Amino acid sequence: MQEAQGADGAATPAFENADGLAEHLAEYLGRAAGGRVFVDGLTKYPAGFSWRTYGVRLRGFLPADEAILRVGPPYGLFAPYSAIPEFESLSALAESRVPAPRAYLASDDPSILGAPFFLSQKVEGDTPLPWGTQSQKLEGERRQRLAEDFIGALAALHGFDWRATPLRRWGEGVTLENAALRQIDEWEARFRRWALKPHPMAHRALAWLRARAPQAQRLSLVHGDYRLGNFLERDGRITAILDWELVHLGDPIEDLGWAFLPQYRGGTGLVCGLAGEEEFLSRYEAQSGLTVAPQTLKFYIVFSLLKLAFTHMAAARCFEDGLFNDMRMPAMATQIAPVFRQIAKILGASS
Amino acid sequence: MNNSLERLVDGMAATLRAEVVPHIEGDYARGQAFGVIYMLNSLKLRASWSNAFFSSQLRALEEASHALADLAPDLPDAPLPDVAAPENLPDAVDLQAARDEGDAKMCALIDWLAGHGGERVDAVAKAWAIVDDYIKKQTQYELTTSAKPMFVEMSGGAE
Repeated sequence: MQEAQGADGAATPAFENADGLAEHLAEYLGRAAGGRVFVDGLTKYPAGFSWRTYGVRLRGFLPADEAILRVGPPYGLFAPYSAIPEFESLSALAESRVPAPRAYLASDDPSILGAPFFLSQKVEGDTPLPWGTQSQKLEGERRQRLAEDFIGALAALHGFDWRATPLRRWGEGVTLENAALRQIDEWEARFRRWALKPHPMAHRALAWLRARAPQAQRLSLVHGDYRLGNFLERDGRITAILDWELVHLGDPIEDLGWAFLPQYRGGTGLVCGLAGEEEFLSRYEAQSGLTVAPQTLKFYIVFSLLKLAFTHMAAARCFEDGLFNDMRMPAMATQIAPVFRQIAKILGASS
Repeated sequence: MNNSLERLVDGMAATLRAEVVPHIEGDYARGQAFGVIYMLNSLKLRASWSNAFFSSQLRALEEASHALADLAPDLPDAPLPDVAAPENLPDAVDLQAARDEGDAKMCALIDWLAGHGGERVDAVAKAWAIVDDYIKKQTQYELTTSAKPMFVEMSGGAE
Protein backbone atom coordinates (compact mmCIF):
# COMPACT_ATOMS: atom_id res chain seq x y z
CA MET A 1 0.00 0.00 0.00
CA GLN A 2 1.26 3.48 -0.82
CA GLU A 3 1.26 5.50 2.37
CA ALA A 4 1.31 9.26 2.77
CA GLN A 5 3.76 10.90 5.16
CA GLY A 6 2.41 12.66 8.25
CA ALA A 7 3.80 15.92 9.65
CA ASP A 8 6.15 13.94 11.90
CA GLY A 9 7.46 11.94 8.94
CA ALA A 10 5.64 8.77 10.02
CA ALA A 11 3.58 6.90 7.45
CA THR A 12 -0.12 7.83 7.57
CA PRO A 13 -2.51 4.92 6.90
CA ALA A 14 -4.73 5.32 3.82
CA PHE A 15 -7.95 5.60 5.85
CA GLU A 16 -6.70 8.75 7.60
CA ASN A 17 -7.42 11.03 4.64
CA ALA A 18 -10.38 10.99 2.29
CA ASP A 19 -8.38 11.12 -0.96
CA GLY A 20 -6.12 8.25 0.05
CA LEU A 21 -9.07 6.24 1.24
CA ALA A 22 -11.01 6.73 -2.02
CA GLU A 23 -7.95 5.87 -4.13
CA HIS A 24 -7.07 2.69 -2.24
CA LEU A 25 -10.69 1.56 -2.04
CA ALA A 26 -11.10 2.01 -5.81
CA GLU A 27 -7.91 0.01 -6.45
CA TYR A 28 -9.06 -2.80 -4.18
CA LEU A 29 -12.58 -2.95 -5.62
CA GLY A 30 -11.15 -2.91 -9.14
CA ARG A 31 -8.93 -5.90 -8.35
CA ALA A 32 -11.85 -7.72 -6.71
CA ALA A 33 -14.20 -7.00 -9.63
CA GLY A 34 -11.63 -7.61 -12.37
CA GLY A 35 -12.27 -4.19 -13.94
CA ARG A 36 -12.04 -0.51 -13.17
CA VAL A 37 -14.05 0.84 -10.26
CA PHE A 38 -14.31 4.56 -9.50
CA VAL A 39 -15.04 6.09 -6.11
CA ASP A 40 -16.84 9.33 -7.00
CA GLY A 41 -17.61 10.52 -3.50
CA LEU A 42 -16.88 9.75 0.12
CA THR A 43 -18.93 11.29 2.96
CA LYS A 44 -17.95 10.74 6.57
CA TYR A 45 -20.90 10.31 8.92
CA PRO A 46 -20.54 11.83 12.39
CA ALA A 47 -22.27 8.95 14.21
CA GLY A 48 -20.52 6.51 16.49
CA PHE A 49 -17.46 6.30 18.72
CA SER A 50 -16.12 3.09 17.36
CA TRP A 51 -15.98 2.31 13.62
CA ARG A 52 -15.69 5.17 11.14
CA THR A 53 -18.64 5.17 8.77
CA TYR A 54 -18.67 6.62 5.25
CA GLY A 55 -21.23 6.87 2.49
CA VAL A 56 -19.52 5.96 -0.82
CA ARG A 57 -20.64 6.74 -4.38
CA LEU A 58 -19.30 4.19 -6.85
CA ARG A 59 -19.07 3.53 -10.60
CA GLY A 60 -18.21 0.15 -12.05
CA PHE A 61 -19.10 -1.70 -8.85
CA LEU A 62 -21.81 -4.14 -9.83
CA PRO A 63 -23.80 -4.63 -6.65
CA ALA A 64 -24.62 -0.91 -6.20
CA ASP A 65 -23.84 2.72 -7.04
CA GLU A 66 -23.90 3.61 -3.38
CA ALA A 67 -22.55 1.75 -0.38
CA ILE A 68 -21.56 2.13 3.26
CA LEU A 69 -17.89 1.73 4.15
CA ARG A 70 -16.97 1.00 7.76
CA VAL A 71 -13.34 1.25 8.86
CA GLY A 72 -12.10 0.11 12.29
CA PRO A 73 -9.16 2.34 13.26
CA PRO A 74 -6.48 0.90 15.57
CA TYR A 75 -7.39 3.53 18.21
CA GLY A 76 -11.19 3.04 18.17
CA LEU A 77 -13.22 2.37 21.29
CA PHE A 78 -13.21 -1.43 20.90
CA ALA A 79 -9.92 -1.77 18.97
CA PRO A 80 -8.33 -3.99 17.82
CA TYR A 81 -11.08 -4.69 15.30
CA SER A 82 -12.03 -7.45 12.93
CA ALA A 83 -14.54 -6.81 10.15
CA ILE A 84 -15.16 -10.50 9.67
CA PRO A 85 -17.83 -11.27 12.33
CA GLU A 86 -20.06 -8.42 11.13
CA PHE A 87 -19.48 -9.38 7.50
CA GLU A 88 -20.16 -13.08 8.08
CA SER A 89 -23.28 -12.46 10.13
CA LEU A 90 -24.76 -10.00 7.62
CA SER A 91 -23.94 -12.41 4.79
CA ALA A 92 -25.69 -15.24 6.62
CA LEU A 93 -28.73 -13.07 7.37
CA ALA A 94 -29.13 -11.97 3.74
CA GLU A 95 -32.07 -14.26 3.04
CA SER A 96 -33.57 -14.08 6.52
CA ARG A 97 -36.53 -12.08 7.87
CA VAL A 98 -34.13 -9.83 9.78
CA PRO A 99 -33.91 -6.43 8.08
CA ALA A 100 -30.18 -5.89 7.74
CA PRO A 101 -27.86 -4.30 5.17
CA ARG A 102 -26.50 -6.68 2.55
CA ALA A 103 -22.77 -7.30 3.03
CA TYR A 104 -20.61 -6.80 -0.08
CA LEU A 105 -17.04 -7.48 1.03
CA ALA A 106 -14.68 -7.16 3.97
CA SER A 107 -11.05 -7.56 4.90
CA ASP A 108 -8.83 -7.35 7.97
CA ASP A 109 -5.73 -6.98 5.79
CA PRO A 110 -4.11 -3.65 6.84
CA SER A 111 -2.20 -3.43 3.54
CA ILE A 112 -5.44 -2.43 1.76
CA LEU A 113 -6.83 0.58 3.66
CA GLY A 114 -4.60 0.58 6.72
CA ALA A 115 -7.29 -0.92 8.98
CA PRO A 116 -10.02 -3.61 8.90
CA PHE A 117 -13.01 -2.56 6.81
CA PHE A 118 -16.18 -3.76 5.21
CA LEU A 119 -18.52 -2.53 2.53
CA SER A 120 -22.25 -3.03 2.75
CA GLN A 121 -25.52 -1.94 1.22
CA LYS A 122 -26.67 1.63 1.82
CA VAL A 123 -30.18 1.32 3.22
CA GLU A 124 -32.44 4.35 3.14
CA GLY A 125 -33.72 5.73 6.41
CA ASP A 126 -33.11 7.90 9.45
CA THR A 127 -31.96 6.93 12.93
CA PRO A 128 -34.19 7.89 15.88
CA LEU A 129 -31.90 8.45 18.88
CA PRO A 130 -32.57 7.72 22.57
CA TRP A 131 -31.06 11.04 23.65
CA GLY A 132 -33.23 13.18 21.40
CA THR A 133 -35.35 16.05 22.62
CA GLN A 134 -38.99 15.89 23.71
CA SER A 135 -40.15 16.81 20.19
CA GLN A 136 -38.28 13.81 18.74
CA LYS A 137 -40.16 11.27 20.89
CA LEU A 138 -41.82 8.42 19.03
CA GLU A 139 -45.57 8.59 19.32
CA GLY A 140 -48.89 7.24 18.08
CA GLU A 141 -49.13 4.87 15.14
CA ARG A 142 -45.53 5.47 14.18
CA ARG A 143 -44.37 4.23 17.57
CA GLN A 144 -46.66 1.18 17.39
CA ARG A 145 -45.42 0.19 13.93
CA LEU A 146 -41.79 0.64 14.94
CA ALA A 147 -42.39 -1.43 18.10
CA GLU A 148 -43.92 -4.17 15.96
CA ASP A 149 -40.91 -4.16 13.61
CA PHE A 150 -38.35 -3.87 16.41
CA ILE A 151 -39.74 -6.81 18.37
CA GLY A 152 -40.44 -8.83 15.23
CA ALA A 153 -36.90 -8.39 13.94
CA LEU A 154 -35.47 -9.43 17.32
CA ALA A 155 -37.63 -12.57 17.41
CA ALA A 156 -36.63 -13.34 13.81
CA LEU A 157 -32.93 -12.92 14.66
CA HIS A 158 -33.26 -15.22 17.66
CA GLY A 159 -35.10 -17.81 15.62
CA PHE A 160 -32.62 -17.63 12.74
CA ASP A 161 -31.16 -21.05 11.90
CA TRP A 162 -27.47 -20.12 12.03
CA ARG A 163 -26.53 -23.82 12.00
CA ALA A 164 -27.71 -23.97 8.37
CA THR A 165 -25.17 -21.30 7.38
CA PRO A 166 -21.37 -20.91 7.55
CA LEU A 167 -21.92 -19.43 11.02
CA ARG A 168 -22.18 -22.99 12.31
CA ARG A 169 -18.43 -22.92 13.02
CA TRP A 170 -19.04 -20.06 15.49
CA GLY A 171 -20.82 -22.64 17.63
CA GLU A 172 -17.66 -24.51 18.54
CA GLY A 173 -17.44 -24.63 22.32
CA VAL A 174 -20.61 -22.59 22.93
CA THR A 175 -23.26 -24.48 24.88
CA LEU A 176 -26.57 -23.70 26.53
CA GLU A 177 -24.79 -24.07 29.87
CA ASN A 178 -21.78 -21.82 29.20
CA ALA A 179 -23.23 -19.10 26.92
CA ALA A 180 -23.68 -16.57 29.76
CA LEU A 181 -20.36 -17.41 31.43
CA ARG A 182 -18.47 -16.98 28.14
CA GLN A 183 -19.85 -13.47 27.80
CA ILE A 184 -18.94 -12.66 31.41
CA ASP A 185 -15.38 -13.91 30.73
CA GLU A 186 -15.13 -11.88 27.53
CA TRP A 187 -16.28 -8.64 29.14
CA GLU A 188 -14.20 -9.18 32.25
CA ALA A 189 -11.11 -9.48 30.03
CA ARG A 190 -12.05 -6.18 28.39
CA PHE A 191 -12.62 -4.58 31.79
CA ARG A 192 -9.12 -5.61 32.90
CA ARG A 193 -7.69 -4.06 29.73
CA TRP A 194 -9.63 -0.79 29.98
CA ALA A 195 -9.90 0.08 33.70
CA LEU A 196 -7.72 3.00 34.78
CA LYS A 197 -8.17 2.22 38.48
CA PRO A 198 -9.59 -0.56 40.69
CA HIS A 199 -13.41 -0.70 40.70
CA PRO A 200 -14.82 -2.69 43.65
CA MET A 201 -18.35 -2.37 42.22
CA ALA A 202 -17.27 -4.10 39.01
CA HIS A 203 -15.82 -7.02 41.00
CA ARG A 204 -19.00 -7.13 43.09
CA ALA A 205 -21.23 -7.24 40.02
CA LEU A 206 -19.07 -9.86 38.29
CA ALA A 207 -19.29 -12.05 41.41
CA TRP A 208 -23.09 -11.60 41.47
CA LEU A 209 -23.37 -12.54 37.80
CA ARG A 210 -21.12 -15.60 38.06
CA ALA A 211 -23.21 -16.92 40.95
CA ARG A 212 -26.42 -16.57 38.92
CA ALA A 213 -25.47 -17.36 35.31
CA PRO A 214 -28.59 -18.88 33.74
CA GLN A 215 -28.75 -21.74 31.28
CA ALA A 216 -29.91 -20.56 27.85
CA GLN A 217 -33.09 -22.05 26.37
CA ARG A 218 -31.64 -21.71 22.91
CA LEU A 219 -28.36 -20.69 21.28
CA SER A 220 -29.09 -17.77 18.99
CA LEU A 221 -27.35 -15.15 17.01
CA VAL A 222 -27.19 -12.25 19.48
CA HIS A 223 -26.85 -8.70 18.12
CA GLY A 224 -25.08 -7.37 21.24
CA ASP A 225 -26.21 -3.73 20.86
CA TYR A 226 -29.92 -4.04 20.03
CA ARG A 227 -31.52 -0.72 20.93
CA LEU A 228 -33.08 2.54 19.88
CA GLY A 229 -30.38 4.34 17.87
CA ASN A 230 -29.23 1.24 16.04
CA PHE A 231 -31.93 0.93 13.41
CA LEU A 232 -32.98 2.90 10.36
CA GLU A 233 -36.57 4.08 9.92
CA ARG A 234 -38.36 5.10 6.74
CA ASP A 235 -42.06 6.02 6.70
CA GLY A 236 -42.60 4.58 10.14
CA ARG A 237 -41.08 1.17 9.37
CA ILE A 238 -37.69 -0.26 10.28
CA THR A 239 -35.63 -0.65 7.12
CA ALA A 240 -32.45 -2.06 8.69
CA ILE A 241 -30.90 -3.07 11.99
CA LEU A 242 -27.40 -1.57 12.17
CA ASP A 243 -24.13 -1.85 14.12
CA TRP A 244 -23.45 -5.56 14.28
CA GLU A 245 -19.93 -5.24 15.67
CA LEU A 246 -20.75 -7.09 18.91
CA VAL A 247 -22.65 -9.95 17.22
CA HIS A 248 -22.01 -13.43 18.68
CA LEU A 249 -23.70 -16.69 19.54
CA GLY A 250 -25.32 -16.74 22.93
CA ASP A 251 -28.44 -16.56 25.04
CA PRO A 252 -31.11 -14.58 23.15
CA ILE A 253 -32.35 -12.98 26.40
CA GLU A 254 -29.04 -11.08 26.46
CA ASP A 255 -30.39 -8.78 23.72
CA LEU A 256 -33.52 -8.11 25.80
CA GLY A 257 -31.41 -7.14 28.80
CA TRP A 258 -29.64 -4.52 26.68
CA ALA A 259 -32.83 -3.21 25.04
CA PHE A 260 -34.49 -2.88 28.48
CA LEU A 261 -31.81 -0.52 29.85
CA PRO A 262 -33.17 2.79 31.17
CA GLN A 263 -30.49 4.60 29.13
CA TYR A 264 -32.32 3.73 25.89
CA ARG A 265 -35.85 4.68 26.98
CA GLY A 266 -35.50 8.29 25.89
CA GLY A 267 -37.20 9.44 29.09
CA THR A 268 -40.44 7.65 28.17
CA GLY A 269 -40.43 4.65 30.51
CA LEU A 270 -41.01 2.48 27.42
CA VAL A 271 -38.50 -0.13 26.28
CA CYS A 272 -36.39 1.74 23.70
CA GLY A 273 -39.14 4.38 23.69
CA LEU A 274 -41.32 1.92 21.77
CA ALA A 275 -43.34 -0.44 23.98
CA GLY A 276 -44.21 -1.06 27.62
CA GLU A 277 -42.32 -3.92 29.27
CA GLU A 278 -45.31 -6.27 29.44
CA GLU A 279 -46.33 -5.61 25.86
CA PHE A 280 -42.74 -6.08 24.69
CA LEU A 281 -42.35 -9.38 26.52
CA SER A 282 -45.67 -10.87 25.48
CA ARG A 283 -45.10 -10.01 21.81
CA TYR A 284 -41.53 -11.28 21.91
CA GLU A 285 -42.51 -14.53 23.62
CA ALA A 286 -45.33 -15.14 21.16
CA GLN A 287 -43.09 -14.55 18.15
CA SER A 288 -39.88 -16.19 19.36
CA GLY A 289 -41.42 -19.20 21.10
CA LEU A 290 -39.17 -18.48 24.08
CA THR A 291 -40.15 -17.82 27.68
CA VAL A 292 -38.51 -14.86 29.36
CA ALA A 293 -38.01 -15.79 33.01
CA PRO A 294 -37.94 -12.65 35.22
CA GLN A 295 -34.72 -13.74 36.95
CA THR A 296 -33.01 -14.35 33.58
CA LEU A 297 -34.07 -10.92 32.35
CA LYS A 298 -32.81 -9.37 35.59
CA PHE A 299 -29.49 -11.20 35.17
CA TYR A 300 -29.06 -9.81 31.65
CA ILE A 301 -30.08 -6.29 32.70
CA VAL A 302 -27.30 -6.34 35.33
CA PHE A 303 -24.92 -7.82 32.75
CA SER A 304 -25.89 -5.09 30.28
CA LEU A 305 -25.41 -2.32 32.84
CA LEU A 306 -21.96 -3.72 33.60
CA LYS A 307 -21.19 -3.87 29.86
CA LEU A 308 -22.23 -0.22 29.66
CA ALA A 309 -19.98 0.72 32.59
CA PHE A 310 -17.09 -1.14 30.92
CA THR A 311 -17.77 0.69 27.65
CA HIS A 312 -17.52 3.98 29.56
CA MET A 313 -14.20 2.73 30.96
CA ALA A 314 -13.05 2.06 27.39
CA ALA A 315 -13.87 5.69 26.58
CA ALA A 316 -11.83 6.88 29.57
CA ARG A 317 -8.95 4.62 28.53
CA CYS A 318 -8.94 5.82 24.88
CA PHE A 319 -8.93 9.44 26.01
CA GLU A 320 -6.34 8.96 28.76
CA ASP A 321 -3.97 7.16 26.38
CA GLY A 322 -4.21 10.19 24.09
CA LEU A 323 -5.63 8.20 21.17
CA PHE A 324 -7.95 11.13 20.40
CA ASN A 325 -9.23 14.34 21.97
CA ASP A 326 -13.00 13.87 21.50
CA MET A 327 -14.45 15.45 24.67
CA ARG A 328 -17.45 13.12 24.50
CA MET A 329 -15.12 10.35 25.72
CA PRO A 330 -14.31 11.72 29.22
CA ALA A 331 -17.93 12.89 29.42
CA MET A 332 -19.09 9.31 28.79
CA ALA A 333 -16.67 8.15 31.46
CA THR A 334 -18.43 10.29 34.09
CA GLN A 335 -21.40 7.94 33.69
CA ILE A 336 -19.63 4.98 35.30
CA ALA A 337 -20.84 5.99 38.78
CA PRO A 338 -24.53 6.46 37.79
CA VAL A 339 -24.47 3.04 36.10
CA PHE A 340 -22.87 1.50 39.20
CA ARG A 341 -25.63 3.03 41.30
CA GLN A 342 -28.24 1.37 39.06
CA ILE A 343 -26.48 -1.98 39.46
CA ALA A 344 -26.23 -1.53 43.24
CA LYS A 345 -29.99 -0.88 43.43
CA ILE A 346 -30.79 -4.13 41.62
CA LEU A 347 -28.25 -6.14 43.62
CA GLY A 348 -29.50 -4.59 46.87
CA ALA A 349 -33.10 -5.46 46.06
CA SER A 350 -32.23 -9.07 45.26
CA SER A 351 -29.90 -9.91 48.16
CA MET B 1 -14.20 11.70 37.16
CA ASN B 2 -12.29 8.85 35.60
CA ASN B 3 -9.57 10.60 33.64
CA SER B 4 -6.53 12.39 35.01
CA LEU B 5 -6.77 16.14 35.41
CA GLU B 6 -3.72 16.72 33.19
CA ARG B 7 -5.13 14.66 30.35
CA LEU B 8 -8.52 16.36 30.61
CA VAL B 9 -6.93 19.80 30.38
CA ASP B 10 -4.74 18.72 27.44
CA GLY B 11 -7.78 17.23 25.67
CA MET B 12 -9.90 20.33 26.25
CA ALA B 13 -7.19 22.63 24.92
CA ALA B 14 -6.55 20.41 21.89
CA THR B 15 -10.27 20.13 21.11
CA LEU B 16 -10.75 23.88 21.34
CA ARG B 17 -7.77 24.48 19.05
CA ALA B 18 -8.60 21.82 16.45
CA GLU B 19 -12.40 21.55 16.49
CA VAL B 20 -13.74 24.86 17.80
CA VAL B 21 -11.42 27.76 16.91
CA PRO B 22 -11.44 27.07 13.13
CA HIS B 23 -15.25 27.43 13.15
CA ILE B 24 -15.44 30.63 15.19
CA GLU B 25 -16.14 33.76 13.18
CA GLY B 26 -14.56 37.02 14.30
CA ASP B 27 -11.15 37.91 15.71
CA TYR B 28 -12.53 38.86 19.10
CA ALA B 29 -14.34 35.54 19.61
CA ARG B 30 -11.29 33.57 18.44
CA GLY B 31 -9.14 35.62 20.81
CA GLN B 32 -11.47 34.67 23.66
CA ALA B 33 -11.10 31.00 22.73
CA PHE B 34 -7.30 31.27 22.78
CA GLY B 35 -7.63 32.99 26.16
CA VAL B 36 -9.52 29.93 27.42
CA ILE B 37 -6.79 27.61 26.03
CA TYR B 38 -4.08 29.69 27.70
CA MET B 39 -5.86 29.69 31.06
CA LEU B 40 -6.49 25.93 30.84
CA ASN B 41 -2.77 25.38 30.25
CA SER B 42 -2.01 27.66 33.21
CA LEU B 43 -4.48 25.83 35.45
CA LYS B 44 -2.82 22.53 34.57
CA LEU B 45 0.43 23.73 36.11
CA ARG B 46 -1.18 24.46 39.48
CA ALA B 47 -4.40 22.48 39.88
CA SER B 48 -5.00 18.99 41.24
CA TRP B 49 -8.02 16.97 42.26
CA SER B 50 -9.45 17.91 45.62
CA ASN B 51 -7.80 16.37 48.70
CA ALA B 52 -11.21 16.30 50.37
CA PHE B 53 -12.57 14.05 47.61
CA PHE B 54 -9.91 11.37 48.14
CA SER B 55 -9.84 11.79 51.94
CA SER B 56 -13.56 11.05 52.14
CA GLN B 57 -13.05 7.82 50.23
CA LEU B 58 -10.03 6.87 52.33
CA ARG B 59 -12.01 7.43 55.52
CA ALA B 60 -14.75 5.17 54.16
CA LEU B 61 -12.11 2.55 53.34
CA GLU B 62 -10.72 2.87 56.86
CA GLU B 63 -14.18 2.41 58.40
CA ALA B 64 -14.77 -0.66 56.25
CA SER B 65 -11.34 -2.04 57.23
CA HIS B 66 -12.15 -1.63 60.96
CA ALA B 67 -15.54 -3.32 60.52
CA LEU B 68 -13.97 -6.17 58.56
CA ALA B 69 -11.20 -6.61 61.15
CA ASP B 70 -13.89 -7.73 63.63
CA LEU B 71 -14.58 -10.66 61.30
CA ALA B 72 -10.92 -11.77 61.18
CA PRO B 73 -11.36 -14.64 63.71
CA ASP B 74 -14.19 -16.08 61.56
CA LEU B 75 -12.42 -15.47 58.24
CA PRO B 76 -8.76 -16.23 59.10
CA ASP B 77 -7.67 -16.79 55.50
CA ALA B 78 -9.59 -13.86 53.92
CA PRO B 79 -7.48 -11.01 52.47
CA LEU B 80 -9.08 -8.38 54.71
CA PRO B 81 -8.05 -4.84 53.76
CA ASP B 82 -6.16 -2.80 56.34
CA VAL B 83 -6.53 0.73 55.01
CA ALA B 84 -5.76 3.66 57.27
CA ALA B 85 -6.60 7.21 56.24
CA PRO B 86 -3.46 9.37 56.62
CA GLU B 87 -3.59 11.75 59.57
CA ASN B 88 -1.91 14.62 57.81
CA LEU B 89 -2.85 15.49 54.26
CA PRO B 90 -0.26 14.57 51.64
CA ASP B 91 -0.82 15.85 48.12
CA ALA B 92 -3.64 14.59 45.92
CA VAL B 93 -1.37 12.25 43.97
CA ASP B 94 -0.43 10.36 47.16
CA LEU B 95 -4.04 10.32 48.30
CA GLN B 96 -5.21 9.00 44.95
CA ALA B 97 -2.56 6.27 45.05
CA ALA B 98 -3.64 5.33 48.59
CA ARG B 99 -7.32 5.26 47.53
CA ASP B 100 -6.52 3.06 44.54
CA GLU B 101 -4.40 0.74 46.69
CA GLY B 102 -7.26 0.47 49.18
CA ASP B 103 -9.76 -0.22 46.41
CA ALA B 104 -7.47 -2.91 44.99
CA LYS B 105 -7.49 -4.60 48.42
CA MET B 106 -11.27 -4.33 48.50
CA CYS B 107 -11.43 -5.96 45.04
CA ALA B 108 -9.21 -8.81 46.28
CA LEU B 109 -11.54 -9.36 49.23
CA ILE B 110 -14.61 -9.35 46.93
CA ASP B 111 -12.99 -11.98 44.69
CA TRP B 112 -12.18 -14.07 47.76
CA LEU B 113 -15.71 -13.77 49.16
CA ALA B 114 -17.16 -14.79 45.80
CA GLY B 115 -15.23 -18.05 45.98
CA HIS B 116 -16.17 -18.83 49.59
CA GLY B 117 -19.94 -18.25 49.57
CA GLY B 118 -20.74 -21.71 50.91
CA GLU B 119 -18.41 -21.49 53.93
CA ARG B 120 -18.84 -19.67 57.23
CA VAL B 121 -22.05 -18.26 55.89
CA ASP B 122 -22.74 -15.71 58.64
CA ALA B 123 -19.27 -14.15 58.57
CA VAL B 124 -19.22 -14.04 54.76
CA ALA B 125 -22.68 -12.39 54.73
CA LYS B 126 -21.48 -9.76 57.23
CA ALA B 127 -18.39 -9.11 55.09
CA TRP B 128 -20.59 -8.65 51.99
CA ALA B 129 -22.74 -6.15 53.89
CA ILE B 130 -19.64 -4.11 54.87
CA VAL B 131 -18.33 -4.23 51.30
CA ASP B 132 -21.70 -3.14 49.89
CA ASP B 133 -21.90 -0.27 52.36
CA TYR B 134 -18.43 0.90 51.30
CA ILE B 135 -19.30 0.65 47.58
CA LYS B 136 -22.49 2.64 48.19
CA LYS B 137 -20.50 5.41 49.90
CA GLN B 138 -17.85 5.44 47.19
CA THR B 139 -20.46 5.68 44.42
CA GLN B 140 -22.19 8.47 46.34
CA TYR B 141 -18.95 10.50 46.53
CA GLU B 142 -18.58 10.18 42.78
CA LEU B 143 -22.16 11.27 42.16
CA THR B 144 -22.19 14.22 44.54
CA THR B 145 -19.05 15.60 42.91
CA SER B 146 -20.31 15.27 39.32
CA ALA B 147 -21.89 18.08 37.31
CA LYS B 148 -25.34 17.81 35.73
CA PRO B 149 -24.92 15.83 32.48
CA MET B 150 -25.20 17.69 29.16
CA PHE B 151 -25.48 14.76 26.76
CA VAL B 152 -28.48 16.15 24.88
CA GLU B 153 -26.56 19.37 24.25
CA MET B 154 -23.40 17.45 23.29
CA SER B 155 -25.37 15.28 20.90
CA GLY B 156 -27.40 18.06 19.30
CA GLY B 157 -24.91 20.92 19.49
CA ALA B 158 -27.44 23.31 21.01
CA GLU B 159 -28.60 24.34 24.47
